[in-house]
Amino acid sequence: MAEMWISMGPQHPMTHGLWTLKVKVDGETVVDTEPDLGYIHRGVEKICEARDFTQITTYCDRLCYASANTWSHSYIYAAADLLEVEVPERAEYIRLIAIEIQRIASHLMWLGAYGPDIGNLSIMVWCLREREMMMDLLQELGGSRMHYNFPRIGGVKRDLPYGFAQRARAKLKLFLNRIQEYEALYDESTIFLVRSQGVGYAKPEEMVNHGVSGPNLRAAGVNYDVRWAHPYSVYSELDWSAPVERSSIKGADCYDRYRVRVEEMRVSASMALQALDKIPGGADTHYEPEDPMILAKAPSRAPEGTSGAHHFEDSRGESMFYIAGGGEGRGKQPYRVSIRSPIFITIPFAAKCMIGYKVADIPAIMGSFDPCIGETDR
Amino acid sequence: MGKIVSASVQKDAAEAIVTSISEVAGIKAEVVERSSGTHTRNVVVVNSSPTSWRSLAEKLYSDHAVDYCSMITGIHWPEGDDDRKWEVVYHLLRTGVRDPPSEDGVVQPIIVNPSTVRGFGTPVEIEVHVHLTDSRTPSIDSVQDIWVGADWNEKETWDLVGIDFDGHDGMRRVLLPHETPRGYHPLQKQHNLRYHGFEEMYDDAQGFMRKPDDVGKIK
Repeated sequence: MAEMWISMGPQHPMTHGLWTLKVKVDGETVVDTEPDLGYIHRGVEKICEARDFTQITTYCDRLCYASANTWSHSYIYAAADLLEVEVPERAEYIRLIAIEIQRIASHLMWLGAYGPDIGNLSIMVWCLREREMMMDLLQELGGSRMHYNFPRIGGVKRDLPYGFAQRARAKLKLFLNRIQEYEALYDESTIFLVRSQGVGYAKPEEMVNHGVSGPNLRAAGVNYDVRWAHPYSVYSELDWSAPVERSSIKGADCYDRYRVRVEEMRVSASMALQALDKIPGGADTHYEPEDPMILAKAPSRAPEGTSGAHHFEDSRGESMFYIAGGGEGRGKQPYRVSIRSPIFITIPFAAKCMIGYKVADIPAIMGSFDPCIGETDR
Repeated sequence: MGKIVSASVQKDAAEAIVTSISEVAGIKAEVVERSSGTHTRNVVVVNSSPTSWRSLAEKLYSDHAVDYCSMITGIHWPEGDDDRKWEVVYHLLRTGVRDPPSEDGVVQPIIVNPSTVRGFGTPVEIEVHVHLTDSRTPSIDSVQDIWVGADWNEKETWDLVGIDFDGHDGMRRVLLPHETPRGYHPLQKQHNLRYHGFEEMYDDAQGFMRKPDDVGKIK
């Protein structure tokens, strides 16, 4: 049969956003692919060059609609490196709680969206039910439902609200029980198993060479994690280990990538619970905003020649910011902000992964890498 | 208790890399302490000349197991000295990731204990700055064949900043529309943001030089 190119997207249920995957098919078999991005390129890096350091957090929140909090924290750590700020320990604990709850919410969004991708329609509402609990907790911290604008350079916007610790403990424990329900829904669904097992194999060394990291890498049987490899925050104070899946000889398939995210939600919930117990000053005390316990004073200017960078474990892999100081207003604005999006690097790899499989496997393979186009196109 | 990489081991690994790559001509390397709040990290910061960048990259990859290209940043410095008009910043990592071995057909996951990593398994952060001389078409050697992860990073750097990569296979626009005119790279400093001293704006139907309707009315 003659080979032909098919455009999947920009409007296609497989894409999870606005992009095109051009697929060359020979009958039902995929022989070549080419991703085409940039449909929602907003020029965030250019916009940041005309904003003060404190204003940029808002834009970083909007990089990813499913995981806003991790992105603003990613920027905040790079800015703290640039401006040389010492962050109070209590603020680091609050940040960790916010990041890990956001990671759960992001994985739940993925878990819910992945089911309908490959024929398990009921899981969506189950996952969104628990995601709602996580969003409520984040709303208590940041004040809004989706774009929290929670961290500040040198600390956090507000302390934990009264009664937050109690509500968070109750919700996280309830959530830990309910993870079993998703496992039952997925692992006992024949459709899900048939469509996710044995497709989209990826090996660790190849993934690292392609720049793929995070849960997609850990699914293949290695426990590389930025949180221990390039430590930040207070992960050293908690008892945790990065979850790893036992993959097959050919590498991790879509099923492994689903398993590792479920395990990661368990680890994140346990980390948030531990942080609530260990937070200095106690989780039930409440400091006023701008108290030195939760917010350190940060300089507003960075002179020319300085730079800050930070590797950060985002929900989807290693995200990173590089900021060069010395822009407009005698260094009040950055000269250049550069953003590393994990999915921008993962999409070309995922497109290579599906060569040799059938057209019907494309949604299963693509969805398992957890694409988010907001951060990809920036 | 929590297991993270010990700072002293990471510092030793960083210093070993610095001593080794300082032998390459045109390289100035040092270990810099950085902190993003609580933890101090030891980062290898390298200043390389454009001619020695390719040999430095090969040395890092083959001798020091630097296996991961995290990000490539291009910066335009129109007000800098003539030999520093353009800058490319590479962020590389050593992850120490290996394919897990299999016994009797069953894969055994590699669970690294972060507090006991040594040698080539130690994660190290490397930041390489390369300054390019004044040119309308700046270019630098591509490392796409060493780290495949650099492929799309280089595409993006050319697309947005206009720094070309010699030997890059399949250079094309990735974030801007494919029909964007040649030579238009928005992160170069002569392009200003609208409402901040704008001169011209982009419009699909009429091309690039169209003046906005409200020219002169908005600051």
